[in-house]
Amino acid sequence: MTAQAVRERVGGAWVERSDGWWCSVRSGEILAIARAVRVDGVRFAALTLFPEGDRMRFAWHWDCEGVLLTAEALADPGQAVPSIAGTWPGADWAEREARDYYAVSFEGRDSTPPLMLREEETPGVLLRPGGKEQA
Amino acid sequence: MSYTIPIGPYHLALEEPYKIEVHCEGETVTGADLKVGFNFRGIEWLAERKNLTQSIALMERVCGICSNVHSMTFCLALERIGRIEVPARAQYIRVVMAELERIHSHLLWAGVAAELTGFHTLFMTCFNLREDVMDLLEAISGNRVNYSMNRIGGVNRDILCPDDIRAGIRTIRGELERSLIPIFTQDRILAARCAGVGVLAREDALAWGAVGPLARASGVDQDLRRDAPYLVYGELDFQVPVRAEGDVFARVVVRALELLESCRLVEQALDRMPAGPLHGPDHYFVTPGETTMRIEAPRGEVFYFVATDGTDRPRRVKVRTPTFANIPTVLPMVRHAALADVPLIQASIDPCYSCTDR
Repeated sequence: MTAQAVRERVGGAWVERSDGWWCSVRSGEILAIARAVRVDGVRFAALTLFPEGDRMRFAWHWDCEGVLLTAEALADPGQAVPSIAGTWPGADWAEREARDYYAVSFEGRDSTPPLMLREEETPGVLLRPGGKEQA
Repeated sequence: MSYTIPIGPYHLALEEPYKIEVHCEGETVTGADLKVGFNFRGIEWLAERKNLTQSIALMERVCGICSNVHSMTFCLALERIGRIEVPARAQYIRVVMAELERIHSHLLWAGVAAELTGFHTLFMTCFNLREDVMDLLEAISGNRVNYSMNRIGGVNRDILCPDDIRAGIRTIRGELERSLIPIFTQDRILAARCAGVGVLAREDALAWGAVGPLARASGVDQDLRRDAPYLVYGELDFQVPVRAEGDVFARVVVRALELLESCRLVEQALDRMPAGPLHGPDHYFVTPGETTMRIEAPRGEVFYFVATDGTDRPRRVKVRTPTFANIPTVLPMVRHAALADVPLIQASIDPCYSCTDR
């Protein structure tokens, strides 16, 4: 399936950027989108998190024939976001890493064990202060 | 009889820290659990606290083998955000470095794979050739591993001896064609050890997010150099080897054939490299913005997300390395495999735990 056909299958307002196509969605919609893009030729590429004020911006990236397709959503502090690991097993590590880095939670998983951290360590590594004065 | 074998994180059979717990029923693997993070360095946290120039050097430390790819990807992201033009000569030099690095990486993997299959003389041959490639990298950059070639808007050093590099790569290509490629693609003993082992179906490769030679050996015909060209790859002629079998042998063949394609790319880049500057002005202002940047590294797609806010520090640098995407595919590959095949299956993805952990 072509990237254009995948965009049409997902629907929504896609915007072309220099790095591919982006679509803003509500976080609760991501599982349905993940299922819609689960077609031949599409590969899960990455999950990016980016703090925007006190909210967290999630961006799920897929590749289709070299074209990057990204769905992005904002989540409020403490808001759980649906897991897509059941549909895209490659997203399992991405979600576990996101939990390690930003202490976010995903609903629909049995558990979200740490990936980079050990069990006893507190998640939210990238939120830790310090360091700037030494830079 | 059911049992679990814990291997790692520090074990004689592993090159780097990583843990796999293999669940078995008799000699057959029924499942596995993977643990990484033993080398976690918090590079994304550090990048937000360094200035852009410092972060180039930091990104070069993400991976010890494909170090150039990371500094190049970071610079490409900043150049895209800042709409900074890179001189043509610098783009060709970046291609030469990237392809030499791919040859170096593939030969390193080929040597390790040869050792794991009990082919010690082949290991020696691979590592001997790898030394020749590292000599070329050193001749260009002055370094064997961390080359420090990339800067925002171009490269730091010229290729001062293109004829020597051309002669060197032709010698390497000749040796590959004469000895290594026939063994890796036709040797019956090697094929018998690797064929049908660790199969990753095309559908699984896509669902698990496999990239690079691992994906291409499972029939996934994707290569960013061709599908989403960057630098001057769109002007160069090369093939993308793809195999449908999805087993360890297919991965061996794909990487072996990619070695030849990389040699061709280096030769073409050297032949077509125009005269001109290596970079623009010494100081750049990178405007506020954000972008993703993807590069075809030796092990597959490197994915960066970089955001800037107009200061000299990046607001966010996300790094997803190819091995981070590829390691989880070990789980479907070892299921129902023979226990004795687990080390070979693991090695066949060409793992790099250091860059996975970042």
